[in-house]
Amino acid sequence: MNIVVCVKQVPDSTEVKINPETGHLIRAGVPSIINPYDHFALQTALELKKKHANFKVTVVAMGPPQAKSVVQMGMALGADEGVLLSDMAFAGSDTWATSYALAKAVKKIGKTDLIFCGMQAIDGDTAQTGPGVAQQLGMPQITFCEKVDVDGRRIIAHKLIDGGYEVVEARPPVLLTMIMHKDYVPRYPSFLAINASLKKPFHTWSASDIGAEAQFLGLKGSPTQVDRIYPPAQREKAAMFSGSGQEGMAKILQIMKAEHFLED
Amino acid sequence: MASMDSISRNLMLDSLREYAKRRIPFDLIRELDEKNECPTGILREMYDKDSLGVHLLMIPEEYGGVSGGTFDIYRICELLARIDLGIATGVFATFLGTDPLNQGGTAEQKEKWLKRIASENLLVAYGATEPDAGSDLVNMRTRAEHVVKNGKIAGYRITGNKQWISNGGIADMHTILAMAPGGPSWFIVETKIEGFSANKHEDKHGIRLSNTAGLSLDNVYVPAENLIGLEEGKGLLQAQAVFGYTRVMVAAFGLGCGLEALEHAIRYSQQRIQGGGPLSEKQGYTHKLIVPNYVRLEGARAFIEYTSLRLDSGEHGLQTEGAIAKYGASEWGNKAADDAIQALGGYGFTKDFPVEKIKRDVKITCIYEGTSEVLEMTIYRGRWQEHLKSRGRYYLDMADQLDLLHAKEPKVGAHASALGLRALAAILEECRVHKLTRHQHVTFTLGRLICAAETAWNFSIAAAAQKYSETIRFDREGWQAMARIFAREAALNTAAQGLALVLGAADAAGNLADAVNMEAIQTEQKGMIADMDLVALKLKQTFKAK
Repeated sequence: MNIVVCVKQVPDSTEVKINPETGHLIRAGVPSIINPYDHFALQTALELKKKHANFKVTVVAMGPPQAKSVVQMGMALGADEGVLLSDMAFAGSDTWATSYALAKAVKKIGKTDLIFCGMQAIDGDTAQTGPGVAQQLGMPQITFCEKVDVDGRRIIAHKLIDGGYEVVEARPPVLLTMIMHKDYVPRYPSFLAINASLKKPFHTWSASDIGAEAQFLGLKGSPTQVDRIYPPAQREKAAMFSGSGQEGMAKILQIMKAEHFLED
Repeated sequence: MASMDSISRNLMLDSLREYAKRRIPFDLIRELDEKNECPTGILREMYDKDSLGVHLLMIPEEYGGVSGGTFDIYRICELLARIDLGIATGVFATFLGTDPLNQGGTAEQKEKWLKRIASENLLVAYGATEPDAGSDLVNMRTRAEHVVKNGKIAGYRITGNKQWISNGGIADMHTILAMAPGGPSWFIVETKIEGFSANKHEDKHGIRLSNTAGLSLDNVYVPAENLIGLEEGKGLLQAQAVFGYTRVMVAAFGLGCGLEALEHAIRYSQQRIQGGGPLSEKQGYTHKLIVPNYVRLEGARAFIEYTSLRLDSGEHGLQTEGAIAKYGASEWGNKAADDAIQALGGYGFTKDFPVEKIKRDVKITCIYEGTSEVLEMTIYRGRWQEHLKSRGRYYLDMADQLDLLHAKEPKVGAHASALGLRALAAILEECRVHKLTRHQHVTFTLGRLICAAETAWNFSIAAAAQKYSETIRFDREGWQAMARIFAREAALNTAAQGLALVLGAADAAGNLADAVNMEAIQTEQKGMIADMDLVALKLKQTFKAK
């Protein structure tokens, strides 16, 4: 069975802040990581590969040259092959244009039985790209999966629904988007595996390599545009005081009186 | 070895960071520190090639390692130090212990031992220091006597004591320096061998998670094939050959500890409200305790990288550069950690916050792998020769190079750095004319001044580069401001302290006051506070309060 896992490199959201004046993300010094949902999707695919000897896993990412990092990480964790879609023509693509490019890449990779995507990326939080790829490929999809098993040609997915799980069965080809299992511990590759991943087949493909037409890519091919990004209005800053409990109480009383919550 | 590609290196750093986050939380570190306990299990896990395999960095690929270069090792060492310097030392000991084999081992020895270290995840210790032989290994007393069978040297009997050996009590194998009939030589000694024993784990001021023990060798027999290089008398050369990069590793430790402590303080300062506002907004705090320390450590980082890249491009030795890298990073890292305690006030003085432990830990970087004083001497000795050989042109040529740079890039402090180098050249010349280097104090102080002036020279050049290193977390505006601050401070200290040094030692100092050009150096101080304001802001933006 041939599996493709789509991964994205994202800024570590715990470190990102928005410049309130410009509305831009402050990226200075912020490390990039593999999107955590994609990490889980990748691990799920690699677990299947471990159980089934004839499974092949290909990792695909789209982004600038440095996004090779998440592809190589996938290979270091056990994927057989890696593809990076990198071309200025992809820049500015929204979820639909990105889905188009990823779908074209999947077609170039060849016969694909399963596509794994993270439910959403932690930078955009749209949850649209995975379903978009399925749509572009005319492939059925099962979203919000927490667990996936393969039994012969049967795909059994545990899909999260309100108040529980729905167990969905499908036949390949199918695209699955993964949420994260609550007990999931992300795996990171050993030094040796990272070094060995350099010897695995890796390809950088441009728009023309995958036969993507310029009109469907980048800003031109994007039906949605980001108008602006802004942080929610901040509440007034709390005043902090230090001292003993008694001093604290005295201070609170003083403030309450000053603000006329209490009478003198 | 050349360094690996940036992506692989950063993936390794991520794996190490994530491992530490999961397995070595601060609470555990604090408990082990309190109990003076080495986490051998964690070290073994870190060495497990299927889990992490951090020790494989020093082992060439053909023997099962990953062929890390100096730059890769520096980056891993910095991160290890940020996690815990005791654990870092446990890893470093294996790096160091493997070195004699890497440097002097025969192909067969490497094939056998490096492969075993890689595949069996062996902990290694480096046994050089003795009770009476630290920096001065010539006084070594451990002896290796020939064992002759059928007229041939079949093996050696080693007897002696080793002291302060990192991993001494937990290592699976040791590389031991001993005096053989043909001179100092390295031997491979496995732990489970008759006559070999380790003493108790030392009760140390810092790096308490690192096992440190004395070793006792009582007539320990090793076969002749365990003599590294199969040739006696090469031991000291083999040891010295690697000082360039082993000192870069300890430099990375000083850097990692110092920056980790400062970054705690920077984040804390944004939350701590005093006098109506956060401490991060107060110059009395930032411009004394934070900015100067951060700037010095960024200068040290640039010098570590400069030395690493030269070593990775195939240059050998670089003992003076290695000494400058280590001396600067460890002394400035120590000072930064001390100031970080001050920056956290009472909290910094408690064991609930990491800076107190970092301060105790980082002190060792000023002691092991060459004390600061030995390094002052090494730096002075190396550059004094250059000064004499070039008839005083050595630093003047470097200053000329900076003047050209200043014409193209006026914002990197190149002019101030050049003034510092010219002052240094004048001071060295005055020392030569008046024969002042007969005073040991003069030579050691010169070592200190040289370290700062050369670091400033390199910082200006690095800050002018088109593309910055992957390690720089600041934009050009911020990093260039740091280079300017460093250059001003170095120039002023070189001139003022160099002048004071000569005046204190010479009967007359001619027109040295003019020669160091103090007036121009003072003029160059203009803009210092504005630059410090800018750097304080950049630090706050980069290390946001959590």
